[in-house]
Amino acid sequence: MLLDIRNVDFGYQNEQPLLVDFSMHIKKGEFVALLGPSGCGKSTLLNLAAGLLTPLDGEVDFGGNALHGLNRQVGYMTQGDTLLPWMSVSKNILLPLELRGVPRAERQQKLERALKLVNLVEARDKFPSELSGGMKRRALLARSIIYEPPMLLMDEPFGALDAQLRETMHQELLDTVNRMDESVLFVTHDISESILLADRIIVLGNRPLRVMEEIRLPWGKDRNLNEIRGCDEYVRLEHHLRDLLRMSKH
Amino acid sequence: MTAHTSDSMPVPRQASAAQKPRRRAPVRISESRRRIENLVLQVLLIGSFLLLWEYASDRWVPKLMVSKPSDIGSTIWRWLLDGTFATNLWVTIQATIGGFLLGTSAGMLLGFLTGSIRRVGEVLQPIVTAFYTLPRLALAPLFLLWFGLGMEFRIMFSATIVFFLVYYNTYFGVREVSRELISAVRIMGANHFQVAWRVIIPSALVWVAAGLKISVPYSLVGVVVAEMLASDQGMGFLLARGASQFSAAQTFAAISGLLVVALIVDWLITRVTNYALRWKTAGQQN
Repeated sequence: MLLDIRNVDFGYQNEQPLLVDFSMHIKKGEFVALLGPSGCGKSTLLNLAAGLLTPLDGEVDFGGNALHGLNRQVGYMTQGDTLLPWMSVSKNILLPLELRGVPRAERQQKLERALKLVNLVEARDKFPSELSGGMKRRALLARSIIYEPPMLLMDEPFGALDAQLRETMHQELLDTVNRMDESVLFVTHDISESILLADRIIVLGNRPLRVMEEIRLPWGKDRNLNEIRGCDEYVRLEHHLRDLLRMSKH
Repeated sequence: MTAHTSDSMPVPRQASAAQKPRRRAPVRISESRRRIENLVLQVLLIGSFLLLWEYASDRWVPKLMVSKPSDIGSTIWRWLLDGTFATNLWVTIQATIGGFLLGTSAGMLLGFLTGSIRRVGEVLQPIVTAFYTLPRLALAPLFLLWFGLGMEFRIMFSATIVFFLVYYNTYFGVREVSRELISAVRIMGANHFQVAWRVIIPSALVWVAAGLKISVPYSLVGVVVAEMLASDQGMGFLLARGASQFSAAQTFAAISGLLVVALIVDWLITRVTNYALRWKTAGQQN
């Protein structure tokens, strides 16, 4: 088990509890999508896994060890733009390696690989303000994976992109995580996105957060996204998930 | 009768669109040309003002009050030749740079500490605000007592004015830093020092730069006021001496010298801050 959230309680001050005795886990190499209505606590789960929040009760284990403080073994890609605007694309992507004291030669080697992977070689010296929305997302993805964390936490990472760009990013993300055998905990509102990308979908219900259903998807790691979109199973799952989400709001 | 004459026949829409004169594309002026045009306009404006001044002096307004550009020019020329200008200007420039550096570095340091360390902010912020409300002129007699008539008095007096401008800008700049950016960098492995160096300081620099730019004229004002209050050197001293001798020409000549210093220092600060903040304008169209 890579991430194990066990019997966790969590809530913000003066608010109804968000998580009560909540449990879930993720295995190594698994891509798990969290699907649920707005405000149900999906992002809170990611913040607990990242160690940005501490549970009021219960345990969060990562790699077999109880998590105390920040989890520096994850790459976290939020909905917002967290590129440092005063640094070029290359310097942004290199930042985690510099902070971790990786030797210069190795840093450079990994940078070249990451830039090629996300197709940003040409934009390496640009500042974030010179990039399009899609390029920013790709730079963020490169920065999250360059230090090869065992797990990626992604909070609606492609929510602000147009449909065409999102499709491209889906394929790039899948290729990248499969190549690096990364686990992913992926928060989304988008039913189609969850069916296409995940190995397992956890459908969540509203306050307190609860698992309504877990769905294991039949497609393997080397899936073809276009083929999946055309198959009957995809349509059936889409209808089923839509019904579940409708119910989850109540 | 319902027949239409050719004059009253409705004109097809397409035909009317074709006959419409085509709108001319907006003329784009290059940036360099715009700059030259602006410079010419500025020279014309200042030149006409000086000519009007020269003409009006002693005709419409007493010369004792406003002097004449030609008299001011000859005073400046005389001061340039006998070294008065260089000696006094250099004293003022040194004090301005000293006051600016001391006030801004102290303001940045304290602003950074109070903005980033909660407890330090809670304790010191009300004390700083209390001092901020104090009229700085009230400190002059005390500073004279402590530092005498020399350079230290001017520097300290100027620094106290500049300090608050940079302090508040740095304080708010640090407080405004995005928590999301800090969390992102901490997860990447940054310690507290790295967070400060990589995120908080560069992010607050936008505010600090604005504070530094405002501080330039204020540090000069601080020095000139100190020199006018008690000094035997500097442009402030020349100003006060000119006024006490009822010589408007000397006063205006001293003001012109100050203007040149202010412009040069402002130009330098603008270049430095523009370079440091080039990431903000990258990708923007003119």
